[in-house]
Amino acid sequence: MSNEQIFSLTEALARTDQDVELFQTLAELFLEHGPKDMDEIKTALDARDAAAAGRSAHRLKGAVLQFCAPAALEAAMRMEEAGKAGDVAAAAGLCGKLESELSRLLDALRQAMDKGLAA
Amino acid sequence: MGQDMTREASESGTNDASRTTLHAVVAQQTALIVDDEPVSRAGMAARLKRLGYRVLQAGDGKAGLELLRRERPDLTILDWMMPELDGPSVCELVRRDPEVFSSQIILMTGHDQPEQIAEGLARGADDFLSKAASPQEITARVQAGMRAAGLIRRLEHATDEIRRKQEAIERELQSAARYVVSLLPAPGLLLPGLEMASAYRPSSALGGDLFNVLRWDEHSLGLYLLDASGHGVSPALRSASFSTFLRDDNLLHRVGSSDPGAILTEANRQFPLTENGSYFTIVFARLDIRTHTLFYATAGHNGLLLHRRSGEICYLAQPSLPLGFDAGNVYHTADTQLSPGDRLYLMSDGLYEVPSPTGELWGQARLETSLREAAAKPLADALSHAIGAAEQWLGHQQFPDDIAVMGIELAG
Repeated sequence: MSNEQIFSLTEALARTDQDVELFQTLAELFLEHGPKDMDEIKTALDARDAAAAGRSAHRLKGAVLQFCAPAALEAAMRMEEAGKAGDVAAAAGLCGKLESELSRLLDALRQAMDKGLAA
Repeated sequence: MGQDMTREASESGTNDASRTTLHAVVAQQTALIVDDEPVSRAGMAARLKRLGYRVLQAGDGKAGLELLRRERPDLTILDWMMPELDGPSVCELVRRDPEVFSSQIILMTGHDQPEQIAEGLARGADDFLSKAASPQEITARVQAGMRAAGLIRRLEHATDEIRRKQEAIERELQSAARYVVSLLPAPGLLLPGLEMASAYRPSSALGGDLFNVLRWDEHSLGLYLLDASGHGVSPALRSASFSTFLRDDNLLHRVGSSDPGAILTEANRQFPLTENGSYFTIVFARLDIRTHTLFYATAGHNGLLLHRRSGEICYLAQPSLPLGFDAGNVYHTADTQLSPGDRLYLMSDGLYEVPSPTGELWGQARLETSLREAAAKPLADALSHAIGAAEQWLGHQQFPDDIAVMGIELAG
């Protein structure tokens, strides 16, 4: 899967008014905080606290929105909904998918930055 | 015309000069972003800085509320879902706080279902913004919010300015009112065997009623009560000016007599009807303390009442024109004999024309009843009793017209 399928750099840059430096700052923030949100979701699910998992998924979703990454966004949304509905089993079932989509997005962002965004 | 076109071009243009102008206009405005999610908060902060705003940030509702109260930002962009204190709860707290209740708030959420928008607005948000909104929409909503904030600020400043000016006017009025009261005579013994009591209740800070006592010589006193039409500043000024004319030395110089009719005839010439139809009514009396004879004249004024020791009450005033209506009018002096124990009241019509809540006037008959009820009490108490009864009839303490009463009593 190409990076452009994981997230749309064109759309994401449009959201920052083509400000590459800002995009990099946001990506770095996300690389730092995204995994923390994911950890919080897993901890909450271990404690069978669906509502807490939903809240962390909501935060994660807000961040993912900035990068125009449809698969990761979809996975975060579904996790948030399951959490809100109090459905621990469903949330636990979605956890693997969300983690892999998040991981893919983080990798794609790292690669994009390594390649140099300006180019 | 040419100027208008230039301005239009500059506002809609995208050249650097127009951007600089726009930035200069909004440079003073501050936006606060409250969001627990750092990536979107940083994205929004960068966007608002680019638009020229000063940007403050808070990572949760509690910190956001503190910052809002401390910094009074023009616009607050508030995430809906946050731990502990969420966005709608912050809105509610802001709307209940008189110091910051007029803050402009945009609620932001990942969901934008109609029910949620309705709830957000109902709980105090001014506008709603989806986290997925396009950059153009975000910019447009922020600028609309800032415009509203600017208008509210201007309105608040104008209101403050009006309040300050109002307070200054009130202070001036109070000061003028103290001056008017300082013109009134002190109650007590005017001469041995002759007591005076009075009541003065202007309908607003300043009244157009005025009364005074003149000491012609050791055996005779002048008494007057005048009522300038209307109430407020202008009648009060006219009354003060009239009272200067009515000083005893001035009257002796201008009229050459202490005769009430002669004085009112001259006053009628000196104080014609004003351009906007203002005039005076007045009762003027001279009491000879040796013979107990009361000489009096009235101009359009009915409030001269004699309450005899026997209980009989009579109104002494005859029908007459107010001052200023006919320059050639001659006012005649009448006289009557007072006896020890008699009480004489000079009063403005404001007292017996007090309306009840249904509009019925208190009237002269009820005034007479209340004066009779207090006949055995000291003069000052009789006045208080009558004013208290009028107040009761009115249903509150703010008389719609000025009230002035001066009573004198010959020792029995």
